[in-house]
Amino acid sequence: MNQTLLTVDNLGKSYKDKQIVKDISFSVKKGMITAILGPNGAGKSTTIRSMMGIMQPDEGDVQYQGHPKQGVPHQKVGYLPEERGLYKNVKIMDIILYFADLKDYPKKKAKARALEYLKKFGLEGKDKVSVEELSKGMAQKAQFIASIIHEPELLILDEPFSGLDPVSQDVFKREIRELADNGTAILLSSHQMNLIEEIADDLLLIHKGKTVIQGSMEEVKEQYSNYKCTIVGENEASLFENLPSVQSVEQDGNRTVLYLEKDVHLPTWVTHMPQASIIQEMTIDRISLHEIFVGIATEKDLMKSGGGANHA
Amino acid sequence: MRNTWKVAKWEYKRNATNKSFIISTLLTPVFILIFTFLPTLLSGSDSTNDAEAMQVYLQDEVGIAPQIEEFVDNQESLNWDIEVVQDNEEAVLNSIEDQDNQALLTLTEDAIETGVVEVKTSEEVTDSFFTQLQILSQPIQAYQFEQLGLSESELQQITSGIMFEKSEANAPSSEEEGSAQSSVTEGELIIPGIFSLIVLFAIVFTGMMIFQSASQEKKEKVSEIVLSSMTPGELMQGKIIGYFGLGLSQVIVWLGFGVPLAAWRLEDVPVLESLFVPELLIMVLIAILGYLLFASMFVGFGATVEDISSAGNFQGVIMMLPFLPFIFIGPILSDPSGIVATVGSFIPFTSPAVLIMRMAMLGELPWVEIVLAIVVLMISVWLMIKLAGKIFEVGILMYGKNATPKEIWKWIRA
Repeated sequence: MNQTLLTVDNLGKSYKDKQIVKDISFSVKKGMITAILGPNGAGKSTTIRSMMGIMQPDEGDVQYQGHPKQGVPHQKVGYLPEERGLYKNVKIMDIILYFADLKDYPKKKAKARALEYLKKFGLEGKDKVSVEELSKGMAQKAQFIASIIHEPELLILDEPFSGLDPVSQDVFKREIRELADNGTAILLSSHQMNLIEEIADDLLLIHKGKTVIQGSMEEVKEQYSNYKCTIVGENEASLFENLPSVQSVEQDGNRTVLYLEKDVHLPTWVTHMPQASIIQEMTIDRISLHEIFVGIATEKDLMKSGGGANHA
Repeated sequence: MRNTWKVAKWEYKRNATNKSFIISTLLTPVFILIFTFLPTLLSGSDSTNDAEAMQVYLQDEVGIAPQIEEFVDNQESLNWDIEVVQDNEEAVLNSIEDQDNQALLTLTEDAIETGVVEVKTSEEVTDSFFTQLQILSQPIQAYQFEQLGLSESELQQITSGIMFEKSEANAPSSEEEGSAQSSVTEGELIIPGIFSLIVLFAIVFTGMMIFQSASQEKKEKVSEIVLSSMTPGELMQGKIIGYFGLGLSQVIVWLGFGVPLAAWRLEDVPVLESLFVPELLIMVLIAILGYLLFASMFVGFGATVEDISSAGNFQGVIMMLPFLPFIFIGPILSDPSGIVATVGSFIPFTSPAVLIMRMAMLGELPWVEIVLAIVVLMISVWLMIKLAGKIFEVGILMYGKNATPKEIWKWIRA
C-alpha cells in the first residue's frame, strides 16, 4: 500500500506570456487521496489537464509508475474533468459502455459494474433512460460512474463536488473514500476546504500557479494551526507590535488581530498585554485551514505565520 | 487508429439510431417519389377535367378529310371528335355559337393553295386548341406536296428540314478523332455524373452535421472526458469517418430508391449499363475527396462554435462554401471547357462538383487537366486536415464563447 503511483515534477505551463502554473511538484500514492486546493483561477485545472496530457505542459516531468513514457497511461486512469457533460440524446448505459470501450474495458464486465453502481447511487432502472431526462445531480452521478467504470488505478477528479447538494456530496465522499480504501490512488481538486479537510490524506495548496502549502493533512494542520488573538476596542496597531511572540498585526476598524508564533505559551503571553490597551472583547483561537485558504484567496499576508512551509 | 474506429462506430451508431436521422433518410426518397409522380398525377387529372373534348367539324371540299381523321386518331394527345359536314353548314354554325369547344374548319381548294385555312370557333375553346391546330399543318402540307406531284425522295428532302451542326474550328476532324484516347462520346457520362453528384452532395450535407456534432461535443462538454482516452486527432478523424459512413448509408438508401426509379422512368436510357463505367470510379473518388475537404473543415470550425445560433458571420460563410459550385453551373452547362469551368476545377471548394459536372458533359476528357485538378484537390484535403486538426485541438477545449477569426488564425499559426 501507499506506494507512489504518480510523480509530477516542476510542472509549468504558460499561455502566451502569462505563466499559469509554475514549478508544481507532487505525488499521488496508492490508496491515498491527494487534494489540490486553490481559489478559482489558481491553476488547478491547468495542472490536472497538463498532467493528463490534454494540454501540453511547457516544462516538467510526469512519471507514472511502470509507464515508460512521459504522462499517464490512458487505460489505467479515470478522469472526471471540471467541464463535464454527457451526450444528450443517448441512453445512460450506452454512454457508460462507450467510455468503457474507450478504455478497452470488456463490455460484459462494464455492464455488470455499471448496473451495480447505478444501484448504489440510487439510479436503479435508469440505465435505459436518455441523458436529457436526468436531473443535474443524476447526470453528475452518471459521469462519476463513467469515470470509474474501468477500475482505474488512478482516479483524477476535478472539482467533483461542484454543483452537488449536501446529500450527494456525502455519497460522493463516501464512494471516493471507499475507492481509496480499495487501493485506488485519487487526486482531486476543489475549492471547498471543508470537504477536503474531511477526506484528503495529502494536500497541495496552490495560488496563482504556485505551490503555497504542501504536505499531509496532519502535518499541515499542525504546522498552520497557530493561535491568533482577536481584540475588539479602539487601539493603535503599533501598541501590540512589540509584544513577544507576535508575528503580525492586522487591524480593521476597532478590531485588531494578532497572529502568534507557533510555540507561544498562552498563559505567559496574556500577561504581557499592554496596560494602555482597551479591551472590549478578546478571543484566542486557532487559524483554520479555511482561514488560510481565504487569506490566500484574498491575498492577505497570513502565510508569514507559516514560515517557509514545506516546499518539497 | 483503434480509437478512431471506436469514435467512428460510436458516432455512426448514435446518429443512425436517431429518430430525426432515420426520418430524413426515409422521407427524402418519399419526397422524390412524390415529385416524380405528382406532375403525372396532376396532368392526368387535368385531362379528365378536359373531358370536354373539342368537337371539330370539317367542311371538306377537296377530299382530304380521311387523311386528317386518320392523322388525328393516331395523335393520342388530341382529344378531338371529328365530324365531316357536307351541306348543313347553317346548323353547324348555330351549334358552334350555342355551345363551347366547337370549331369548324373549312378546307377548300383555295385554302390548300394559299395555305390559309379558315377556322370558326365557339366563344370558349380548350386552352391548347390553337396550338394543337398546328399539328394539322402536317397532313395538309403532305396533301399540298402530293398535289404538286413531287416524288417520294423529293418529299423526304423537303420535309427533313434544315439542321445546324456544331463543330469547332480547331477541332480535329471526326476521322482523326477515331484514334483519340477516349472512347466516350459526349454526354455518355451524364448518368454516372448525376450519380456521383448525388453521392457528393449527400455526404457533404451529412458532413455539415459534423459541424453541429463538434459544436455540440463542446456544448455538452463531453470532449474532455473523451480526450482523456485519446488524442484530439483521433477524435477528429473518428468523427470524419463516422459521418462519412452515415452519409454513405443515406446515399445507399436514396439510390436504392433512385436508381430503379430512374431505370423505370427513363425507359429508353440504359441506366445501369451507363452507370457502371470505369469513369464512375474516378468520379466517386472526386466525391470522396470533396467530402474529406468539407468534413475536415466543418469539424475544425465546428469546434470553434459553442452555440450555433450565436455563431458569427465567419462560421456562417464557411457553412455556405459547399454551395459555391452552384455559381458555376450556368457557365459550365454552356461551355464545359470554358475558362470558368477550368478555373472552377482548380478552386478546392468548387473543384469536386465542377470536375464531376465537366466529366459528365464533355465527350473528350481533358485527362491532364483532370489529373492535375485531382492532385490539387488532394493537396488541399491534406492541408485542410492539418489545419482543422490545429483548430480542433484548441477549439474543442475552449469553453464559454465562440472563437473569433483572429483567435482561430492564432491557433493555426501556433
